[in-house]
Formats: sequence, C-alpha cells, structure tokens
Amino acid sequence: MAVIETEHLRKYYRRSRGIEDVTLRVEEGDIFGFIGPNGAGKSTTIRTLLNYIFPTGGTARIFGLDVVEDSAKIRADVGYLPGEVGYYDDMSAEALLQYSASFYRGGYREHRARINELLDIFELDRRRKIHALSMGNKKKVGIIQALLHRPRLLILDEPTSGLDPLMQTRLFEVLAGENQRGATIFFSSHVLSEVQRFCHRVAIIKEGSILRVEDMGKLRHGHFLKAKVVFRREGEREAQAGVLDLPGVIHRATDGRTVEVLFNGDVNGLVRHLAGHDLESVWLEEPPLEEVFLHYYEKEGRQQ
Amino acid sequence: MNIFNREMRANYKSLLVWALIIAGFNVMVLSIYPSFAADSAKLAALLGAYPEQLLKVFGLDRLNLGDPLGFYGTEIYFMVLLFGSIFAAILGASLLAKEEDDKTIEFLLARPVTRAHVLADKILTYVVCIVGFNILVGALSYAAFAMLVTQAYSVKALLLLLVAPVFVHLTFASLGFLTALFFTRRRAVYSVTIGLVVGLYFLGAVALMARGVEWLKWLSPFQYVDAANIVTSQSISVVNVLVLLAVNVAAVAATYALYRRRDIMV
Repeated sequence: MAVIETEHLRKYYRRSRGIEDVTLRVEEGDIFGFIGPNGAGKSTTIRTLLNYIFPTGGTARIFGLDVVEDSAKIRADVGYLPGEVGYYDDMSAEALLQYSASFYRGGYREHRARINELLDIFELDRRRKIHALSMGNKKKVGIIQALLHRPRLLILDEPTSGLDPLMQTRLFEVLAGENQRGATIFFSSHVLSEVQRFCHRVAIIKEGSILRVEDMGKLRHGHFLKAKVVFRREGEREAQAGVLDLPGVIHRATDGRTVEVLFNGDVNGLVRHLAGHDLESVWLEEPPLEEVFLHYYEKEGRQQ
Repeated sequence: MNIFNREMRANYKSLLVWALIIAGFNVMVLSIYPSFAADSAKLAALLGAYPEQLLKVFGLDRLNLGDPLGFYGTEIYFMVLLFGSIFAAILGASLLAKEEDDKTIEFLLARPVTRAHVLADKILTYVVCIVGFNILVGALSYAAFAMLVTQAYSVKALLLLLVAPVFVHLTFASLGFLTALFFTRRRAVYSVTIGLVVGLYFLGAVALMARGVEWLKWLSPFQYVDAANIVTSQSISVVNVLVLLAVNVAAVAATYALYRRRDIMV
C-alpha cells in the first residue's frame, strides 16, 4: 500500500515556483530519502503534504486520504519534525510534550511512558524552558514530539541538522526501531551520506520536479564506479581519449597525466582498455552519492 | 479544548493586569467625585462657556457632571471603552499573529486538528477573556460606586453602563482576529489594530463636532453604546447591540473563510 502518493503535484506562489511536478509513491515500511539542493522544492513538498500550503495543481494522498480534505485525520498518524523548530518559548520541554500528547488518542496519560523513554534516550532536561534551550536541544524536543504518539508515518525535514554526532546516531537507532515497528519514514536531507546509509529508496528533486527515484541498493552496488587513472607519461592523448569515450562514462575530468571518470557500465571494458597502456596507477572505487547525484544534475542540465 | 486551555493559561496574566489597572483607575477617579458633586453649580457655569459641539463629544450636552452617573458616563466610561478596546484588539490579534510570528503554528497544525477547530478555540479564548475582563472591571467599579457615592443614582443605569462596553470590546477583538490574517509579524498587526481602535474613537468624536457629517459616527463602534443615551433612556439600544454583534459575526465568518484556504508561510 502506498503511504504517500502524489501525482503531478504543483505549487506556485502567485508567479514564483514552489514545486513544478512532483510524482512520488512511498510504500508502507519504506525509508524514503528526499534530496536535492536548497530551493529545489523539498520543504514545499513536505508543507503541501501537511496541508500548511495548498497545492495549485495535482493531487497528494497519505494513507489513501486526500491531504487537503482529510488533513486533520491524516495527521493523527503522522509525526513531523520541521527543519527549523519553533515552539512556545514560555513552556518547559515537558509541558510542550504534554501539550503535544494531549492532541492524540489517549492523551498525555497514554503517551507518558514513551515521552519519558525518549527524554532519556536523547538526554533532554525536561524542566528547561524552551527559550533557554540550545538549537540542538530544541531539535531534540522536535524529535520527541514527532515520535511520542508512535505515528505510522514520520516526515522529517533535515532531521540531523544541529544535532551532535552521538545524538545523530541515537536518532537513527530510534528511527530504525520505528521502521521495524512498521512506520514509514520520509525524510529530506542534503547530507547525502546519511541518506546513503539509511534509506531504501531516494527521490531526487531539482528545480521543483522529481528527477528520478532510485532504489538505494541499485545506486550503492555495482552500477556506479569511479576510476582514476594516472598514465606514466604525458601526451598519451589517444589512450586518454579512449578512457573518456568508453560506454557508460557520465563524467570526466583530465589533468595532465591523470584521467578521472565516473561511469555507470561494464568494468571489463575499462580494464581491457587500460591493459594496453603504460600506467603509473589505477584507483577504482564506489563513488559517494554526492558525486553520483551531482552528475545526474549536470547531465539533466545539459539535456535541457 | 486543549488549545483553549493553553491560551487561557498564556493570557490570564495580561487579562488581570489590564483589568486591575483600568478598575484601579476607575476607583481613583471615582474617589474625587464627592468634591465635584459639592461644586457642581460652579462647574455647570464653567462648562457653559464651552461650545456645544465640544460638550456633545463628551456627552455633557445631556449628562451632568454633578450627577453620579453623569460623572461616570463622562469621566470614566470612555476610558473603560477605549482602553478595554485596545486590550481586546491586541488580544484578538495576538491569538493568530503570535503563532505565525513564533512559527508555532507549524507545531499546532501538525497535530490532528482542523483549522476550524483552532479558530473555534481561539475565539472562545477571547470571548471568555473579554467577558472575564468586564466582569472584573464591572464588579470592582460597582463596589467602588457603592462605597464612595452617597448621592442617589439609578442602579439599573449603572449596571447598563458596566455591561455595555463588552459589546464594543468583542467587536474590536473580532476585528483584530481578522486583521491578524493580513500580517505575519505581531508588531505590525498590533500597530494596525491599535490604530484602528484609536482612529475609530476619534472618528466618532469628530463626527459629533463637525457639522453635517454626524452620520459618520455610525462607523465608530463606540457610538453604539453612547453613555448619554444609556443614562437618559435607562436602556441599551437593542438595534445597536445587534449591529455590533453582526459586525462580530461578519468578521469571524471572514476569518473562517480566509483561514480555511490560507497558505501558512512562516
């Protein structure tokens, strides 16, 4: 079953673009990464899903319900962590979490145990007033209010920004637990390594449109390879050109005796080609996602 | 009800401060009434020298400063109306403006509540606060009257004067509530709503002073609960109250219609 399903979702603020065409399908139990540069439309998409803003075209459904018509009903089972956290300054962390819990089935009493558990995991001082909390601690309040009612869907906007590495690790442990329980996780990020580590699938958004949706496994294994070849002598133009023209090469750079390529094809062709030349060294490695995505963008940009 | 509870907790202190300051002012001014009453003949002569249009603004064309209700109606009543309206306008405007200014609206609208529910709880908040404010100010003023004023006065007319401001206060709260939708920064919306209160107050006064534009006074909510009318007729005009309530209903209806489709941008 699709937990999130959008079709040609579009949002314009008068003339300016929020998102152009977002078609997504997030299945139940998925950990779905949503990445793209700043201003690409990640937050706009999320804010439309939560019905903070109204779409100007297309449709979006969560749990099969329309996000505009049934927003309140949907949100009973959604936990949302905003990128920039704003909470009632005059409340203590605990009072805020109580207030939050009071909106869900069973109220605070039902969720108290979970709140206490999360306060301990994230080592948050419950008596501190919100205005006296650091950015990182405010983020923790945000994380706990998103998790306390055991939602079926978690929507996280840049969840790790402002958290120290230890807390980031704890967050991902908790999120993995939620996912095992059956929760679907949709999170936007521009920290690609965390997407790489954590997500099953990932959608790439650029200038308001979904560029593509990839299976993480496919991206991580086999398909992409980064090769750096250093020839022993300069001027082996022909050999260098040979590397650059191999099938599947999607990005290239040459510098003196060095050729770097990112390619998405058969490694045998590369090895056979190199075997006939005098080389100083060869590196073959799995490229970080950052590079892969960067070059998606470049390629798409060239095609336009 | 949890939004209402939270708002009451956040707003009761400022309600108490405003109510006590205004009630305290009433008691203070009322305590000088006995000396006014003693010299009322001299006062009447002094006021006779003022142009009639000016006296009209203060209701002194029909009220007598030496009379307890005349004194209350001209020296105190307008302060309750005016400052109570400023309190009400700020309260009404703050309920939505604060949430957007502090970005807490994102927190609130991430809960399973409809926007209509949010509005309903906030409207209930300002209605309860304003009624509470008027009960507090009214009760203290009534007690001060009973203790300080020895002359005869109509208790009915006094009670009417103590009740009447609530309709104007509610109207400004509803207008402030609506105005908040057009601004996302609270300072901006406070300035505008306070400006609206003071502006409409003076519009009412100017309409009475300038010749030929008296109809303009009907744009000012204050004129609908004019003290001189209430004291001389011993009643509040039902039509006037209905007009004020209709303004409330219209403002609230407009708020619902706009808020239902509002893009929350913080």
